[in-house]
Parts: sequence; structure tokens; C-alpha cells
Amino acid sequence: MAHEKDFKEKLIAAVKKEVKQVMEESVTRKFVHEESGSVTSLCGAVEACLSQGLRRRALGLFKTSSTTALLHKIAKHSPEAARISKRVQELENVDNGNRRSSSSSDSLTKPQLKKHASLSSVIAPLPKYLWIRLALFEKQLAKIIDYLVSNANRYYEKDALVADPDYGTILSSLLVGPCALDYTRMRSLDNFCTDPPADELVQRHRISSAGVGGGSTPPSNRRHPMQPNFRRSLNASSEDTLSSSCCSRSSAHQLGIARDYVESLHQNSRATLLFGKNNVTVMPSNASSNVQEPMPGYLSLHQTAHGLTIKWTPNQLMNGFVDETQDKSVYWDYALHVRLDEIVYVHCHQESDTGGTVILVGQDGVQRPPIHFPKGGHMLAFLSCIETGLLPRGRLDPPLWSQRSSGGGAVGKNNNKRRRPLPALAPDTTDTNTETTRDYVFRIIDNSDHTDMPKRTELMDTRAHLGGSLKTRVQLASTSTSSDSSCKSFSIEQQHSASATADEVCSGGVGTPPVACIRAVCDSMKRQIISRAFYGWLAYCRHLSTVRTHLSGLVNANIVLSDERDEQGITEERWSEVCVDGVVSDYAEVYRLTYFGGIAHSLRKEIWPYLLGHYKFGTTQQQRNELAEETKQAYENTMSEWLAVEAIVRQRDKENQAQAHAKLSTGSAASTSVNDNTTPPPPPHSQQEHHLSNEVFEDELLSDDEHESMDEEEEACLTEAQPVKKTRRNTIKYESGDDENEDENEATVAGVTPIGKYDHDDDGEEAQRSPDNREFCCSNIEHEPVNNGESICDYDNDLVNDTVEQNQEQIFPPDDTCYTEEMKDFIHNVIVTNASVDMSNLGGDESRNVGRASGGGNLDAVTEENNSSLDTCIETHGLASPARSACASPASSNGGVYTQELLETFGLNLHRIEKDVQRCDRNYWYFTEKENLDKLRNVMCTYVWEHLDIGYMQGMCDLVAPLLVIFNEESVTYACFCHLMERMVENFPNGQQMDCHFANMRSLIQILDAEMYELMHQHGDYTHFYFCYRWFLLDFKRELVYADVNATWEVIWAAQQVASQHFVLFIALALLETYRDIILSNGMDFTDIIKFFNEMAERHDSKSVLRLARELVLQLQLLIENK
Amino acid sequence: MHAITYLRNMASRKKTLLKVIILGDSSVGKTSLMNQYVNRKFTNQYKATIGADFLTKELTVDDRTVTMQIWDTAGQERFQSLGVAFYRGADCCVLVFDVTAPNTFKSLDSWRDEFLIQASPREPENFPFVLLGNKVDLEPRAISSKRAQQWCQSKNNIPYFETSAKEGLNVEQAFMAIAKNALAQQNSTVDLYNEFPDQIKLTNTQKPSGGSGCCQ
Repeated sequence: MAHEKDFKEKLIAAVKKEVKQVMEESVTRKFVHEESGSVTSLCGAVEACLSQGLRRRALGLFKTSSTTALLHKIAKHSPEAARISKRVQELENVDNGNRRSSSSSDSLTKPQLKKHASLSSVIAPLPKYLWIRLALFEKQLAKIIDYLVSNANRYYEKDALVADPDYGTILSSLLVGPCALDYTRMRSLDNFCTDPPADELVQRHRISSAGVGGGSTPPSNRRHPMQPNFRRSLNASSEDTLSSSCCSRSSAHQLGIARDYVESLHQNSRATLLFGKNNVTVMPSNASSNVQEPMPGYLSLHQTAHGLTIKWTPNQLMNGFVDETQDKSVYWDYALHVRLDEIVYVHCHQESDTGGTVILVGQDGVQRPPIHFPKGGHMLAFLSCIETGLLPRGRLDPPLWSQRSSGGGAVGKNNNKRRRPLPALAPDTTDTNTETTRDYVFRIIDNSDHTDMPKRTELMDTRAHLGGSLKTRVQLASTSTSSDSSCKSFSIEQQHSASATADEVCSGGVGTPPVACIRAVCDSMKRQIISRAFYGWLAYCRHLSTVRTHLSGLVNANIVLSDERDEQGITEERWSEVCVDGVVSDYAEVYRLTYFGGIAHSLRKEIWPYLLGHYKFGTTQQQRNELAEETKQAYENTMSEWLAVEAIVRQRDKENQAQAHAKLSTGSAASTSVNDNTTPPPPPHSQQEHHLSNEVFEDELLSDDEHESMDEEEEACLTEAQPVKKTRRNTIKYESGDDENEDENEATVAGVTPIGKYDHDDDGEEAQRSPDNREFCCSNIEHEPVNNGESICDYDNDLVNDTVEQNQEQIFPPDDTCYTEEMKDFIHNVIVTNASVDMSNLGGDESRNVGRASGGGNLDAVTEENNSSLDTCIETHGLASPARSACASPASSNGGVYTQELLETFGLNLHRIEKDVQRCDRNYWYFTEKENLDKLRNVMCTYVWEHLDIGYMQGMCDLVAPLLVIFNEESVTYACFCHLMERMVENFPNGQQMDCHFANMRSLIQILDAEMYELMHQHGDYTHFYFCYRWFLLDFKRELVYADVNATWEVIWAAQQVASQHFVLFIALALLETYRDIILSNGMDFTDIIKFFNEMAERHDSKSVLRLARELVLQLQLLIENK
Repeated sequence: MHAITYLRNMASRKKTLLKVIILGDSSVGKTSLMNQYVNRKFTNQYKATIGADFLTKELTVDDRTVTMQIWDTAGQERFQSLGVAFYRGADCCVLVFDVTAPNTFKSLDSWRDEFLIQASPREPENFPFVLLGNKVDLEPRAISSKRAQQWCQSKNNIPYFETSAKEGLNVEQAFMAIAKNALAQQNSTVDLYNEFPDQIKLTNTQKPSGGSGCCQ
């Protein structure tokens, strides 16, 4: 009962908190955004309250976990609920309808954008807690809950929160406040300031770019990413114009339209707006029956590089996207998009009561929907704009404007009226024929034939920019930076003359026939174009050579192409073709197939070792089995080495802890007694300092700290006091026995174990301190497992020999299955042993022993203990002195004695590995099992043991994990990981590869996506490309879900052979390109991008990203090949 | 309508962005603290942070709405070289250690020093740090609060909070203090930027007027 109450209390508290949050937000911002996080969490809290104690079964609501069904249920009784319920249903229907229409419709007038799988799957189509949200926005939520509370017995259990007389009322009254607020969907400035989450950005993008189709612009279907830049350098004008002109006509027609419609019905860089008029009505020809009368909309005439375009957009679409609840897709069907060069005739019907109608007739004779202009000469203005726009190569026949001089009518009153339109079309109401309807037909004459088409395009382009020639020139100068200054000045001169000519034509050339004028203009422009094209071409060539030199190393020179069948990658069937009698000889095919289509999951275990270089192509099954056996043997040997060290490290940790406890229990007296025990006199200060700074400076740093605060901080002090003391002792030994140790080293290397010399030495391992010794140790370790018997013979210690073998047998029985079990036992045993140490130390009268053990002998003790059978450990450890004497032989442990340095280094790595293994992909099923985590740990430790110079670095676990999941076997995983690390290790902090990647990314973006590059240049930080850091460090492991990581990794590996050594760069580029529109439209800076991609992690569509990456490689290859 | 209200707001008080960096050894709970504060969530399934991430949170400090941009970094000291890009422009640095792991306490000094070197704030001695001793819900404790406080005192009275990201203990308070310190830092530097050119600080003999004259 009390528990119940607590729970309800918590639920109510959550609602309170969220209400407070929302109210606060409304106060500080004056309004609350509908998509604000606080609204969502409030709705969540309310939902939780409403769900508690709901009689689902009785109400038949058990199918769903949400309370939406409850809403529909009470809709019968509560008018408020009915209203909300209706809206919810509408929204859900619209949402479904939307998806259907977007995938099925393919009208030409509607900008068609392929649905982008990744984005559409990423976005939840309807927000969470829809009905609560709606009710809140409609200010009905409090009332609905009030209704629920007062009728609680019908819907809720007796002990439910809603049914509770107090809580129920509290709940409904709490919500009165939020229901009084105003919520907005407005995309205010505020939203941009507060870092909208990636989801919202993606969604916004979907809405704005494809409110039409419901998907994002698929990068592959978008304009060629490489083109803008080159085209730009080619003739130095706005890249949009050019991108569309260089694309094939039809694709240009389709692409880029979406953005036109949404954002660029106005004047913009890609098109000049010649005419714009709102409230022009059109009766859509393809409208369904529900559109009975002409719809008002915005008519615009655009001049782009490839000609004139007439667009008409229904008003419903012009009003922005404020009301998203309404389904707009139907209006896109009505929107008009007519290219004037498809039009042959323009029919004009002028009526006195209405403004006039224009009907466009295409080459095919099909009429476009009639366009009705409002009164006031708009039709005339429109036609004259068309006529102007058609110049210089096209014209209207008959001309709209007749020359006054030849017209023979009334003499013009002033210069402006020198030319006037055909009388019939004049808006002049004084005309005698006003009452009659007058129709005119104009023919659009295109003087340029089709072979002349490209030239015309360029003419138009130049012409369009002639007005702003200053701007163009600046662009020219900036884009052709590689051409020298004389070229620039020349081209500018050219332009001057061109514009001068143009001016002349416009102002002075009244008397000359228009055709001649045009010709003059054209001639000058032609010259200008040719010169500009030449310099553009020059710049382009230089650019290309830069590209080639900088980037030719990034992709393979020979282009490998795929056929359709390759896209399935290596299937079982294909593998059986390639793998003949267990021998895979056609490695090129394997790489190629993997690169283009990946590997069937069931085959990964078999093929990955090939890709990583563990298996050689052409080997037989037999050979591979042998290799596997060898690998396993080597792995197990290595493991036995570090396990021994691990045991020591653990022991040391335990002892440190135990000593702290022991000291605690014996009080400060213990520490003095220990101090008494240290027989050697304190070393000279300088020596100590020297030593400390070298070896245990951490301890020393702390100990200084400690000494200062000794009195106050005794407890903490005691923890640290021990290592300090040990250091002192070590120092003395080290300094005093320096020469002697040298001798010993040589002796040891020679294979003779100088036991006698060590006998008098308290700290046997001191001898191993010098770097040489360290090497000796390692080499010993490496040789020993291979040649177990021989090397052990070197040590004339039979006991040790026995125990070593025994030990190894124990740890690694031949049977593979119980080996892990054994291993666990082993580790377990060690820990048990440690526990006994704690006990003995805690006995109270052991302070002497503890002190001596801490003197360094304890290390040897553990080494010894490790080699002796485990069940004797307790005895051995009870006393420190026997242990010390027993390990007088430095060769007693498996593979030699470990230096303090080695132990410390490995210990440090071990702790780090453990920390990271514990939190490696715990949400992935494979790593929910402790056993698998242990495997991961073992592989990691083995690698670090073998590569202590590299050491463990965060991220390595992430690289092992996918391999382990595939192989589920440690030794193969380890071997493959080693191969993988050959490439990856350079990415980690001590390598140089990351900086190379960043530099390459920079160059690639510069070449492949100029717009993005410019954005990045605006924010200087961009050059660092840190948002790619994790991508490259982990080969996108954190960016993708496991299945996708597998698919991506194998492509990366195969790509090395097929297409590019640096395929990761292209994946990174593909990721950037996938979201480029979002990045560009939001003007994201360095931090925004980091956040965006961190939030998008594991939500990318790897298939399309990989496809795009392959395309990018191909593009670059073609570019480099194309001399 | 809203837009107008909004613009008016914009005019009256500028939006403030506070950049806060969280530093500390690996697995002391940097990511957890950040997420507990921003999302009020805790899970033990956080992965080791690679690279850097940040979250933003809007809060009101002294009647000012500020956006706190909290940067979470990788804990392994080897990745510190990455820091430069992230540390720059920080308004406050949060040092975190694990009260159950003495080593994480020991490395505080090096974290602090490294930050000061890499971020090179204008006045290193006055740059605001906040120390958080995390995981106070765990036993046994290795670093007493007294010891941590002593360290803080020795470093120009750094504020110290004992937190538990798991239980949300003290997290809110700690970050409020962080925000306040960051804001104070920003105000002082902004004033500095606005009123004087850089070099005056360095050479006291030079008159401000002379300094500005040079610039023109």
C-alpha cells in the first residue's frame, strides 16, 4: 500500500516538475514551442499518470500500451475528448495517406524526389503522445482529465492515481496552467539559437525540401556533386545555373525544382525573376473533381541559363509551412512549371471585365491550363516580360511592341512612349473596342537551331549576368586564381567592352535595326565567352592537375566496374563458385564482390580472415586448420604470460588495499614499527629524488601531499604511505647494486641463472630494472612458449620447471570448451587467495610481515605463488619471508621475472581495459553475457601485452567487438584484430594518420562539394574536421548499428584492393553529402556538425551511404583518369 | 506576433552561450553527469567517449537565460591532444574525479594544468574551475571530502561538489554553480574585450589612448 502511494506520489511529482518546466519556459521565452522537449516530457508524465491503474482489460484496451484508445473511448461522453479524438484520427489518416501518395504519384509537374529510406525511417512520422499533445495545444487537456477523474470508477482501478480523490484532482488542476499557454510551431529565430536536435533538423529538411514527396533529396539522385566546382571554374558564374545547364535537360528539369518551389520563387542566384504576380488564377487541368473553380496562386517568370520558365504555385503552397497538419501534397499536383522553349503559341484572350487569359500551347499541340490575370494590365506586363526574356535569339511573332515610327499611329508624346504595344492589347480603356473580347495569338520563334543550343545557353547566361557584371567579374577573378593577373585584366577589359556595347545598343542604337543590335551584342559576348571559357578551361586544367597530384594517391588508378549481379555481394551460391574444394584462388573476385555488395552474414566468419589477411588466398582447408591451430597455440601461450602478470598486478592491488586496512586496524603504531624495520639508512636526498622522478613519481607526488597533511588526513595517508617506503628501499638497492646488476644481466642473457647472487638480494627483481633487462624479459617471454622444454632446461630449477608445466596444463587443457571455465577458475582462485591475504593481514599481529612484503618481496612471492599449484597459495602467503626466499631465483616465473616498470605499465593498461570492456556495447545482445565480455577482455589484454609500447587506447575495444561477435572465438579474433590494427593504429593519438585524413577530407570536399567547402571556410574551426574523428578512429563503428558496421567494414577492407586504400574518406564524404542540404541550409558550424552527427549516430542508412561512397570513388577515379 | 515578441526579447537581452568543458580520468562519470543534468537520465550503458560530444541546456541564472554548452571529452589522457579545438573559448572547466578511485583524484592536477596550457585563458589564475567528486553513492570511499576541499583551497578556492550522477545527487546544484562561475567569467572577459585592446593588460606603462591610437 505504502509502495503504491509512493509510486503515485512520484508520478504526480513528475507532472509537477514538468508543468513547472513548461511554465518557466513560457515565462522566459514568452511562448512555448510545440516541439519543445519540455512539452514532450510533460506529455510523457501525463501519459504515465493516465496509464497507471487503467482498466485495460475491462475496457478492451489491452492491445495498445498508449492511452489513445482511452481517448477514443471517452469521446462518446465528453465533447472535448471527441474533438481531440477526431483530430487524432485525422492526423493519423493524413499521415498514412501522405506516405502512400508520396510513393505512388509520379506527376511531372510535381517535383519528384525519391523517397530516402534512411531519412524516412529515422523520423517518427507523428510525435509521441499525440493526443495529449493535441489536447494540450487545444487547451482541452485539463477538461478531459477532469472528465476522467470524475468518471474514474468507469475506467480505472480503485487504487489508480486518477481514481484517487486527491491525486486525481491535483492532476487535472496541475494541467490547467499549461492548458492556458499558447503553443507555437513557428520556426522562430529562437529555434535556431537553441541547437535544434538532429531529428528536428532532418524533419525540417524533409518538410522544406520535400514537403512534396516526403523524402529527402537522395544524394545520388541529386546533381553531380563534382560538377559545380569545375563548371564554376569553367565560366565563373553562379554554380547553380551551371549545374542545371550541364545536367541533361530532363534531369535538370526534375532536379532542383523542389528547392525552386519552396524557396526560390523569388530572385535568386540561379534564376532571374522577370515577372511575379500573385492572385493569378488557374484552373488546374489535372485537378480532381473537388477543385471546381480556378485557384489563385503566384505566377512567376524566371530566366535561367536554359531558358525561360513560367511557374504558377497555388497560394496554399505559398503560405509557408505553418499549418503542417493540412495535407498539401495535392496542391503540388496543381502547380505549373512550364518551360517556354516547349511552348509554340501563346493565346491571349483579353476580356474587359476580367483581366485576361493566357493559354500556352506546346509543341505537341497540347494546351496548358489557362492562366487568368486580374485586371490592371498584368497580362500585358507578363507578355512583355516574355518578349524581353526571349531576346536576343527568340522573339514573339508578331512582336508585341510595334515600332511607333513604322506603326503610323499617333505620334508619341515622349521618348518612353516611343514604342507601344499592339493597340488591341493596350490596357488603354479609351480604346474604342473595349467592349469586345479580343484574342491574339503569338508564336514564339526561336532563331537558334538546335545545334546552336549550347551557345545560346551560354549567351543567355552571360546576358543574365551582364546587368551585374561587376559581381561577375569579381567572381571571375576569384575563381580563376590560378591564372595570372594579366589574364584577369584582359577578361575584365573584354567585359567592359561588352557591356559598353550593350549600353550602346540599349541607349543609342535606336535607329539601327534590332537584329543588328543583337548581332553586335552577340559578337562581343561571343568574344567574351570564348576568352572566359579559355581562362576557365585553363584554371580547370590547373585545378585538375592539383587534384591529380594531391588526391591520386587516394584512389586506385584502375577502375573496377560492377555488374548488376555484383550488388548482391558474396552469397552462399557465389561463394561456392569461388571457393573450389576449400581453396579460394580468385581473390580479385572476392574483393570485387565484397566491395560492391558485401558478404552474406553466414559467410563472414569464413571470409573475414581472408579480407583481413589472416588467411592467405589459395590455401587449402588443411593449411588453414594448421594456421588456426598455430594461432590458437600462440594465443594461449601469450595469454598465459599476461595472466601471470595479471595475477601479480591483482595481488599488488589487493595488498595495497589490505595494507591500508591493516594499518588502519593497528593504528599509527604500525607505521612506526614498519619504519623501524627498514634497516638501511635513509638514502641521500638527491638520489631519492632522481629515482622517484623516474619511476614512481605519481606516488611521490602524492606522498608530498600526504606528508604535509599527515596529521589531519591520516586515513588517506596510510593508503599511500606504503609505496613510498617501498620506493625508498628500492632506491637503495638500485643505487648500491648498480654494477653488480649489470654483471647479473649479462649472466642472465647468457642463459646462466646466477641464483647465488640473488640470494643475498632482498629485491630480486631490482636487477631487471634497466631497459636492457626489460628486453631480455620480453625476449625470454617470446621464446619460451614456443620452445617450452628447452628454455626451461636453462633454469636449473626442477621445481620451477614442474610447476610451470603444471600450471600451463592447468590453465590450458587441450579441450577448448572447458578452457574458458578453467580460466575463470584460475582467476577466481587468485582472487580467493587474495582474500586470504586480507584475512591474515587483518589479523593485527602481522604488521611486520606486511611491512616486509611491501618491501618488494611480495612481487616475487606472487610470481612464485602463481607457479606453484594454486591451492597452496594460502600457506605461501601467510608469511612473507618463505616467499621471498623461494623466489630468489629470477627465472622462477614463467618466462622470467617482471620488472617493476613492466608490472606498472601492464597494470595500468589492465585497469583501463577493464573499465572499457565493462562498458563496451552492453546494450548489444552479445555483450550482455559476462562470458563474452571476458573474451573481449582477453583479446584486448593479449594485444596490449604483445604491444605494450602501443598500450591500450580507448576505442580499441570498439574495434575488437565486431570481430569477436562474428568469430566468437578468441584466437582468430585476436589474429584478425592484429591485422586490423596495422592500419588502425596510425589513427590513434600517437600516429599521424588522423591529421592526414583531415587534410584529405579538406581537399576532397574542396573538390567535390564547393558549397560545403565554402561554408566550412566561413567557420575557421572547420579545418580541423573533428567531427570525423570518431568516424576514422573506429571505422564508423560507433556511427552505425552492428549489422551495418559489419557491412561497412568488409567494404572498407575489400576497397583497399579494389578501389581505394582510403575508402573511409569516401564514406565520410558520403555521410557529409547525405546531410549536406541540412548542414548548408542551417549554416552549421563546427560544433553544430559534431552535435548533429553524434545525435545521428547509429541512424544512418549504411546501404545508401556506401553506395554513395563508391560513386564518389568512381567520380574521383574518372576525374583523375580524364586528362 | 510571436516573432515580434521574440525580437523584442532579443533586443532587450542578448542570448548568452556558456561553454563548459568536463575533464577527468576515464570512467569517473563525465558523460553520466552531463546526461543526468541535461536529460535527467542515468544508465550504466554509456560507452567510453571517443572524440567529443556536447549537450546544451537552457537555464536561468540571475534572471538571465543562458544556454550552457557542456562538452564531454574522452578520459584517457592520450586523447588530450585533441582538446585544443574543444577547450578554446571555454567559460568554465569542470574537473571530475571518482571518490572511490584515488588515482582519478591524483590526476586532477595534470588535467587542470593541461587545460590551462591548451585553452590558454586570459587570466589563468582566475579562470573558473569547479571540482566534482562523483560516485558518492558507491562504497568504499577513497578520497574524503576534506582532502578534496584542501586541494580546492590550494587552487584558489575552487568550488567543490560531491555528486552522484546515478542518483542525481547534487548534480543540479553543481551545474548551477558552474553556470554562475562561467557567466561571471564571461562577463569579466567581455568587459575586458569591449573596453580595452589586448596589449594594455600586458604593459601597464602604456596609456590606453596610446594603445588605441596605434590601432588606427
